[in-house]
Amino acid sequence: MSRTLLIAMREYRQIAATRGFWVMLLMIPLIIAVSQFATRLIAPQGNVAYVLVDATGQYAPAIQHRLEVTYQRQVLGDLAAYAQKWKVGSAAPGAVWASGPRWFSDADAEAFIAQGGLPAALRQIAPRLPAEATPFKPSEPRDYISVDPPAGVPIDQGPDAFGAAMAAPLQGDVMTSVGKRPLSVAIYIPKDFGASADPVHIWNNGRSSGLIDTVRGELTGRLRLQALQASGLSPDAFARIEGLNAPIAVAAPPAGKGRAQVIVRSLVPLAMVYLLLITVMVTGALMLQGVIEERSNKLMESVLACVRPSELMQGKLLGIGGVGLTTVLFWAGCAVAAAFSTHGVAADFLKPSLMALDHPWIWAAMIFYFLAGYLVISMIYLAIGSMSDSMQDAQAYLMPVVMIIMLPTVLMMAASAQNPNGVLPQVLSWIPIYTPFAMLARLGSGVSPIEILGTGALLVVFIVVELTLLGRLFQASLLRTGQPMKLGDMVRLVRQPEAG
Amino acid sequence: MSVLSLDHVVKRFGDFTAVNDLSFSVPEGGIFGFLGGNGAGKTTSLRMALDIIRPTSGKIEVLGRAPGRENAAQVGFLPEERGLYRRMSVLDTVVYFGRLKGMASAAANKAAQGLIERFGLGPWSNQTVDKLSKGMSQKVQLATALVNAPRLLILDEPFSGLDPVNQAVLEELVLEMARGGSTVVFSTHVMQHAERLSDRLLLLSRGRKVFEGTQEESRATLPGRLVLTSRADPGALAGVASATAAGAANDGWTDWNVELNPGADAGDLLQACTTGGFALRRFETHKPSLHDVFLHLVGADQEIVK
Repeated sequence: MSRTLLIAMREYRQIAATRGFWVMLLMIPLIIAVSQFATRLIAPQGNVAYVLVDATGQYAPAIQHRLEVTYQRQVLGDLAAYAQKWKVGSAAPGAVWASGPRWFSDADAEAFIAQGGLPAALRQIAPRLPAEATPFKPSEPRDYISVDPPAGVPIDQGPDAFGAAMAAPLQGDVMTSVGKRPLSVAIYIPKDFGASADPVHIWNNGRSSGLIDTVRGELTGRLRLQALQASGLSPDAFARIEGLNAPIAVAAPPAGKGRAQVIVRSLVPLAMVYLLLITVMVTGALMLQGVIEERSNKLMESVLACVRPSELMQGKLLGIGGVGLTTVLFWAGCAVAAAFSTHGVAADFLKPSLMALDHPWIWAAMIFYFLAGYLVISMIYLAIGSMSDSMQDAQAYLMPVVMIIMLPTVLMMAASAQNPNGVLPQVLSWIPIYTPFAMLARLGSGVSPIEILGTGALLVVFIVVELTLLGRLFQASLLRTGQPMKLGDMVRLVRQPEAG
Repeated sequence: MSVLSLDHVVKRFGDFTAVNDLSFSVPEGGIFGFLGGNGAGKTTSLRMALDIIRPTSGKIEVLGRAPGRENAAQVGFLPEERGLYRRMSVLDTVVYFGRLKGMASAAANKAAQGLIERFGLGPWSNQTVDKLSKGMSQKVQLATALVNAPRLLILDEPFSGLDPVNQAVLEELVLEMARGGSTVVFSTHVMQHAERLSDRLLLLSRGRKVFEGTQEESRATLPGRLVLTSRADPGALAGVASATAAGAANDGWTDWNVELNPGADAGDLLQACTTGGFALRRFETHKPSLHDVFLHLVGADQEIVK
């Protein structure tokens, strides 16, 4: 095994043995877990059961139809995105889902149901799906599942008897068509509803505002129409009024890959910038401590008798790179696991973002910029470590360096959240020390390949120059003792390869 | 064969010349002492031999090659300023340095365990270094220098910081390494260690060589000194440079401190006294110490320890 690799492994082990590393490594999964846990505690569960008793026999079908149309609109949206992703829209050119994702109206949902709904669409799609296509799954389950009143609950003795009997079942779960679910709502429509002032009675455990709004909306609409009919409105006019919809033109997202581009731009690359900043600052500080330990413990001479300074530098960079890669892979693994095996706020954001990264070159570019950024900043930390006898010494160098890196980067991140191709992100893309941050932030917004190649090439040249010059500083500083180095000394050492 | 040679080597740090036109050669086998006060250029010379720093001019050969890490497999080095990775275990530390010197994992492990046992550190083998006493840490550091059974062992001020017991242990170890065929080069400013250990010496002063040779040869650079008790003044005898009465005469006999001319032999003087009828009651030669030699060659202003 080469000496560089031996050094890299030692560095890796040393950093992995620190508390700081584990705190950093577990921080992101912890945040995801907490968000999931909080989501489950605070937010309603995925779906709940309800009991609807309609003593009039007129309103229940309309309410259930309304709920069905709402759910089918959501399924239709998911299906349209799925058809676009796997390029199977041509399987049924006339189908409402075939032209890709957009805003769907109730009429679209009704048409979808009329065309056979999801089962019919999946049958049409199946022959054209590529082999690597994943099975279609709606992004959300049906919100509200209707169940019959529990046994023994009177449905013909008025709302009071019904409500009293439902009190206990509303505290627990009931069996539904998709398994046990919390019984969340009980609705009782009295026999003379509409003809008298008797209200609809709803017993709710606080997690079903959407269902209550639907019930109220549907019943209100029915009552209004009944009132219009009673006032002498002709059946034709009634039908026209019922079919009226406000005209709304909903545009698709801008050119390119549309929705996918927007999602990528808004989450994953920006997250990579944050991850790069966090990991490089934390692991850079850990590496800095390691170099200072070697210097203050008078280890350098022993080590340098066995390895060249360049091997020591490369080994350290490789080790710290390994730590960074481990961290990112671990975080990415946690993110994927959270996205595809759980439900919650984090999953809601992560799943579509990760699925939207369907181009290998986006991943390749992200990994390149991430590792290049890691190398650029780590090398600065390494040089500072080689010039410092203590963390106190290092702070004097670190403060301006961190400010120079952080300030424009944070400003750029804020700017790119508004407009990834604004002036600041574009300018910083061509300043090598900021290139990884700026390009990561912009990658999802349709950066041209020329710009990626150009900034990438410039970054590689910068890294070579940085490694050469800071490598000289590192080599010359390793055995240096005495007063902290001044800027003039640094320039002299950088300009004279054999100095010291 | 020479295991280490410097040929007109100069090392400058800016305007300061740390090593000035230094040439010497260390033959294979035995113990070679590097003597000099603080700032004499000992550590700089050893660092150049290890390629930790490069000479400004001149040529260096180590084991027949230019200095470099290619020699690391055959070289052991104990620096003056010692330190270890505090959170690494004793065994891992010694193995790590063995691996850096090109040893295979199994060989490094075996050698490390042997040295750890030999130095009495067996029970602490898996302890991290920060839990060891200073003496134990120094043994670990020594083990890192010896793990590759070096052909050339370079020790920079090896006795500094050691208590007398550990100094004796280290002296024995140095002798043992030399008996085993290794060449030991060590620097010191403590003359007693050099006197007890060195076969050959190099004396440095302000970066320049002032002497290279055996201990006997170094002593020969001093004029012979002896103490005589005689009735007459020995100052006129052949080979005597000066004679000073050490006290008042006692019953006609006087003690004299005598210094011989350079190169004059005390045996010749005794013979001359005997054959010339010069009455003597005492003829005591004085063997100069290395400290005397150092003071004679270098001067009293250099910081050394007797």
